[in-house]
Amino acid sequence: MRILDLAYILGLGAGLGLVSAHWAVAGRPAVGKVEVGSWMAWPGSGSRGVDPYMRAYLARGVHLPLGAGEGVELIAERSDDGAHLDGRCRYRLSGNVPTTRGWTLGVTDGAGRPFALPLDRASFSDAEIVRGEDGALSIVAAAAPQSGNWLPLPAAGRFQFRLRLYDTPVSSQTGETRAANLPRIARLDCR
Amino acid sequence: MSAIDHDAAPLPAPAQRRWPQRLRAAGMRLVLTTLAGLMLAAIVHIVTILLIPVLSQRDAAHAYRELGAEGHAEIVPLARGSGALPALQEADPDVITAVCAYDLAAGPVRVLARTGTLPLGLTLHRQGGGVIYAITDRAAIRGVLEFLVLTEGQYDERVANDEEGETSRELRVVSDTQRGLIVARVLAKRPSDRGDAEALAGGVRCGPAD
Repeated sequence: MRILDLAYILGLGAGLGLVSAHWAVAGRPAVGKVEVGSWMAWPGSGSRGVDPYMRAYLARGVHLPLGAGEGVELIAERSDDGAHLDGRCRYRLSGNVPTTRGWTLGVTDGAGRPFALPLDRASFSDAEIVRGEDGALSIVAAAAPQSGNWLPLPAAGRFQFRLRLYDTPVSSQTGETRAANLPRIARLDCR
Repeated sequence: MSAIDHDAAPLPAPAQRRWPQRLRAAGMRLVLTTLAGLMLAAIVHIVTILLIPVLSQRDAAHAYRELGAEGHAEIVPLARGSGALPALQEADPDVITAVCAYDLAAGPVRVLARTGTLPLGLTLHRQGGGVIYAITDRAAIRGVLEFLVLTEGQYDERVANDEEGETSRELRVVSDTQRGLIVARVLAKRPSDRGDAEALAGGVRCGPAD
């Protein structure tokens, strides 16, 4: 009976420990996440004191995160109404982008890879968009062509918006940024 | 104490009265072993998380450890299947990334980057995770970004060799690991900027300091 007990303890400990560790770092860990509106960021990932979960996540693939003074990457998986971003819907990104030397806004899958779409336009940079008279941002993301700044989406399925800000004062204090300083993601309609 | 008293000692309980006791004992043992298992699981979880960066052979530090042997940073691919090197994950497609691996066993490494009109960032990634240092081209002096990467020991040696009373002008960055990566990133804002961005990123020099 003692051997059975020991086997149970070892099996439970090793199994649960390994499975929970794998689960915790299979995607971006919840530890160290900062949420501003619909956007998420992990500002600690580019610092000297990166937390053990982020460190483990980054070591599981070929990752080179942006340094804390170099820039910050913001990821959105949901629109402002809380629904998951889906290629069957149309979205409008509007508002402001914090002060930067340059930014890019891209559409990627859950692993951060751009989609292979017929039109070779996976992202916009700050130099590429057409702005209104007030200088504000307005980008429409949809699977079908749109007038103005159009960011093509996959025909269906989930995707992410990735906003990368380069050389910005926001990078070290992402958590203190107000949602109003980042683009809003409004869902217009769905097929 | 008489023989009669002794005979009156309680008889062993009937089998059906022992079952609840047995069940309770078995339940207690299950709870205790489960608790012990959970504690072991917590220890295994923590040790696994801490060991992944140490044991990983698929991280950027291993994938790009051969880059930069020719004295300048080399551009890494962003998409799979474009060369022998593994692709950089979660990379910005509008950014050109060039990498130079360093090994401080042979002495300090000098990094020299010329800046242009496109935003350039230099970062130092140590082996095992963590960005030791980040600098952008706004800190450049007369169009040049230059710094020295050294270990704690090499830093002390250099400070000791400095001229007495004179302040050294060189920027010294201490790396707490012997190996790591110097990463240069240049943002190509327009597709037509890619050529310039590749020249800027690939032109970052990294070699022995002396």
